[in-house]
Amino acid sequence: MAEYSKLARGSFTSNGFAKIINLPFVPDYVEFFNFTVVNSAATSQNVAYGKWQYPMAQGTAIQQGYNATPTLIYDTVASGGISTFSAGQLLQYGPTLQIVSISKASAAVVTTSTNHGFASGDVVLMNGLYQSTTTGMPQIAGIPFTVTVTGLTTFTIPWNTNQSNYTALAGSPAGATLKKILYPYLYFPGSTVISAITAPNGTTIPTGTVQVDTASAHNFVVGQEVAFRIPSLYGSVELNSLPNIPTPGSPIYGYVDQVTDYNTVIVRTPFAAAFTAFNSNQTVSSVPGLSFPQIVAMGDVNTGGVQISGGSPLYPSPYSVAIGDGNAATNGVLTNRINTVNGPAIQGAYVNNTSQGFIIGAGAGTVLTTSDLVGVANDLIYWRALSHDMGLPL
Amino acid sequence: MELWLLSNRLLILRDYIVSAASQINAGGGSNGFNPTNLGLTDFSLVATTLDTNNAYKFMSGIEGMDRFGTGPIRSSYFMLASTELQSDFDALVGQGVLNNWNYPSNASALPSEWGSVYNLRILTSSEAPVARNAATNNLGVLNDVYYNTVLGKQALTHISQDGYSMNLIYRDPYYSGMLAQNATLAVKFAQSQALTQDTAIRNLLSTRLSNLGV
Repeated sequence: MAEYSKLARGSFTSNGFAKIINLPFVPDYVEFFNFTVVNSAATSQNVAYGKWQYPMAQGTAIQQGYNATPTLIYDTVASGGISTFSAGQLLQYGPTLQIVSISKASAAVVTTSTNHGFASGDVVLMNGLYQSTTTGMPQIAGIPFTVTVTGLTTFTIPWNTNQSNYTALAGSPAGATLKKILYPYLYFPGSTVISAITAPNGTTIPTGTVQVDTASAHNFVVGQEVAFRIPSLYGSVELNSLPNIPTPGSPIYGYVDQVTDYNTVIVRTPFAAAFTAFNSNQTVSSVPGLSFPQIVAMGDVNTGGVQISGGSPLYPSPYSVAIGDGNAATNGVLTNRINTVNGPAIQGAYVNNTSQGFIIGAGAGTVLTTSDLVGVANDLIYWRALSHDMGLPL
Repeated sequence: MELWLLSNRLLILRDYIVSAASQINAGGGSNGFNPTNLGLTDFSLVATTLDTNNAYKFMSGIEGMDRFGTGPIRSSYFMLASTELQSDFDALVGQGVLNNWNYPSNASALPSEWGSVYNLRILTSSEAPVARNAATNNLGVLNDVYYNTVLGKQALTHISQDGYSMNLIYRDPYYSGMLAQNATLAVKFAQSQALTQDTAIRNLLSTRLSNLGV
């Protein structure tokens, strides 16, 4: 019975953080050896071996490591263990969480009733958001937001709720919930909701450009051709690619002049000199049928390209930037860039980021409480993953 | 397009459209969600948007005939919708929505075509994109959000990759296992999909008015 089993093996050098392994299948069995640890003197808390098998819970593992003696013992990892993933379809969500409150602020602070377990850069979708039948913040329900985590039950979202038509949420209103979008950037750059548009100021926003802030990561690059889709309620309709008032039917596009960070870009557009102010202060009564303002990557001409110079790689694999600016930190390392499994490509071209495989986490053991499943930096890990034909019970 | 969303390749295209195309929330319905259920004004608005954007229609019209219960069909864009919305469409019959059996001639109706309204011909699939429980109204009631893709002719294309010729693969059962139980028959080819004109495509998001059949 091995007609359809799938087996894979490989190795990597750990950096001490969770390691994602992409495979052409989703394994139901994963095991690994830390060659560096087994090839060294026994040291307390070092993990030599780890294993996960379906139907163990996702994110758990069995590990074998050294205790204080040091003697090799078996141990379990309750979280941060081994998990599998299948990032193949959109519209997959994590568990639903109750929202306790949302503040009137910019950025708005969201508090959940239980630990959310998010990391900064995750994307959430909020639902309901009525404080009463006529008040609350339903204007932002249904918008994908990038979160910046501030505590176990708190995070901020890049939206200004400190406006007259928004009422703070408090006391866990019925129906006010949120859930994590598991794979928000399977295809990018795409269509992103606009949170603010700022007119040129001659300095940080050069003449002929506008600053566009988005609710989640835009993943644009310099040179990307973009279009605006702004419903009239939000103002700024002059920026829309259509209708073009002087030349009906001829779309007007802008292009990305600068990328400030994950959710801010400077867009060069012919209408930067004069446009109606952007207004995100929508009323609660407008909500049934309220469409959101969007900035859209144009599908036919993604002209963003990486400048070829001595210091930049030619046609690197595409990457997304979920949070932060993705640029070099002080140590010269590019931060917050999440590489895709795709091969070399022109940056800005539309990226299919679907993938599947498994993750070896950096969780600690139940007994070996300061151990690190995936090892420490420079540990050499050999892994094996299988997908079996048959399992009993199925 | 006829039997849309039958293969994994088309599921990829489906998700690609959900990610890439701009969205309009339905507002013509009466259920109080955002987006609302589909109302007649939503069909009209999205067709008008594509017309203003100079999108090409897929189908020419069907001239009216002297047959009971039929009506003429306008030249149309395609709207790709979920089968779960068919009862909502049924509720709009008589208000401008026609089932394909009420076309003067349904010779041009596609196998997955449910019917027509204004300048849209509606194709339905059980694998249309839907976000479960993604909308909540002011009473705390949940509803699903449907991504109804409306597109003109120049919106999408697929590109057959040159230099990667199509292969028909057959492995008889002997090579597929010791017990010779299963043969393999496959076609291998390389294609990619592209949005060629974003102005000619819109995702019309809606919720559902009627109960979901089980």
